[in-house]
Amino acid sequence: MGRWKNGILITYLVAIVFPFIFLFLLSMSSGWRFPDLLPEYFGFKNWGKVAGTESGIAQSFLISLVISLSVAVSSTLCGFVISRYVSYHPKKRLLTLLTYFPYILAPVVFGACLSYYFLKMGIFGTTFGVVLAQFIIAFPYALIFFSSFWNEKIKSYEDLVATLGGGSLTTFRKVLLPMARGLLMVCFFQTFLISWFEYGLTSIIGVGKVQTLTIKVFLFIKESNFYYGAMSCCMLIIPPVVMIYINKKYVFNKLI
Amino acid sequence: MFLEVHDIEKSYNKEAIVSELNINLEKHKTLSILGRSGCGKTTMLKMIAGLTPIDQGVIKLDGVRVDEIEASKRNIVYLYQEDLLFPHLSVFENIAFGLRIKKIKDHIVDDRVIEMIENLELQGHGSKMPHQISGGQRQRVAFGRAIITNPALLLLDEPFGSLDAGTRKNMQTLFLRLAKTFNITSLFVTHDLKEAILMGDEIAYMDKGKLKIYKDRSSFINDPETGVLAETEFWKQLKTEQF
Repeated sequence: MGRWKNGILITYLVAIVFPFIFLFLLSMSSGWRFPDLLPEYFGFKNWGKVAGTESGIAQSFLISLVISLSVAVSSTLCGFVISRYVSYHPKKRLLTLLTYFPYILAPVVFGACLSYYFLKMGIFGTTFGVVLAQFIIAFPYALIFFSSFWNEKIKSYEDLVATLGGGSLTTFRKVLLPMARGLLMVCFFQTFLISWFEYGLTSIIGVGKVQTLTIKVFLFIKESNFYYGAMSCCMLIIPPVVMIYINKKYVFNKLI
Repeated sequence: MFLEVHDIEKSYNKEAIVSELNINLEKHKTLSILGRSGCGKTTMLKMIAGLTPIDQGVIKLDGVRVDEIEASKRNIVYLYQEDLLFPHLSVFENIAFGLRIKKIKDHIVDDRVIEMIENLELQGHGSKMPHQISGGQRQRVAFGRAIITNPALLLLDEPFGSLDAGTRKNMQTLFLRLAKTFNITSLFVTHDLKEAILMGDEIAYMDKGKLKIYKDRSSFINDPETGVLAETEFWKQLKTEQF
């Protein structure tokens, strides 16, 4: 029975870990053709080109980082502040229903619908355009995420601060933001990840001019350059892994 | 009179919650208000605090009309049944909160908070977080946080409602002592008959949004509406049955 259990556990671990190990090995290979058992070259040659302009991976990584950080910061802060007004509004139910509106369409279709307006505004194919398009998806998520934070007890805290002499800014700065710190961090991570892995909307609004890392992965695969594709995938995984670590160490344990 | 409330009215969806509300209270006195749940006590306090708008009427504090001033500038502190301590701040910082937002110098804040902690008999708890102290201690911190700002008027909305009988008794004694030490003017709302009699210099009874203030304790006791006579009769009868 013990052997069976160990066997299942090992299979489970291999199934989870193997794709990542294989990606890393593939990123270090070149000239690996069927039916060869081993690649022609195995080493850090591909990784040495990350910083170079030939692959453009480092540049895409930076663009992705700028876009995702912008989307995460703006949608988290706007979501937190605006969700307060939605939650206390007499027409809360209607406003909450409208929040789900961007999700009734697939991001690609949604992007196609938005493209005309983005073209008219002159932000089609720009980094700002992609940030704005992704914000339209991430912001409603943040609104829904924070809606559970606002309740009668929080309203009582706000009223208490007011009677102690504090204005709205003091209430936000000294009470609401510190009290929601854990939720703010989780929302930041979630919206960062929504943006980081976004493909459909980015490819339509970015029209190939804004090459995020996710777009780059698909480009390499289309070019049959699996080694660079694998390398891009490895880099694509780094921020989520860092965030999961921070989340677990500094947020999740404290929330519990 | 220090607090003057004239003909305050409040309705929700055409239903009168508070009507013909009139209060006159001298400085450094406590008016205890007895009332059942849903009688309009909380709405009344929130209107005086500026947290709920009034439909009509006038509120004056020390001769100055305050009903058109926002809550943060009225210098009226509202104390809830729940202690509502800020979970991210220590006991010391919770008490200091009102002084910090008034931008009072650090060394003055430190001195006043230390003095308040002594008054609250919370020595040695200053650095603790709210979740590390008991319910009674939390309510004391909430008291200290409200009193330290030296409010013109303190509004207490069933502040001991969530405490057990023993802690409640201790808190009542503490409040009476603090009210005397810090010359507090307050409205003390409760649904506990005994507490209403013990805590107030004056007593009132609220029912269906209407407030009745009694000229003295005996007229409050002798009014059948307040329930004191029924309560007394109950204990008398119980005693007769036992012996």
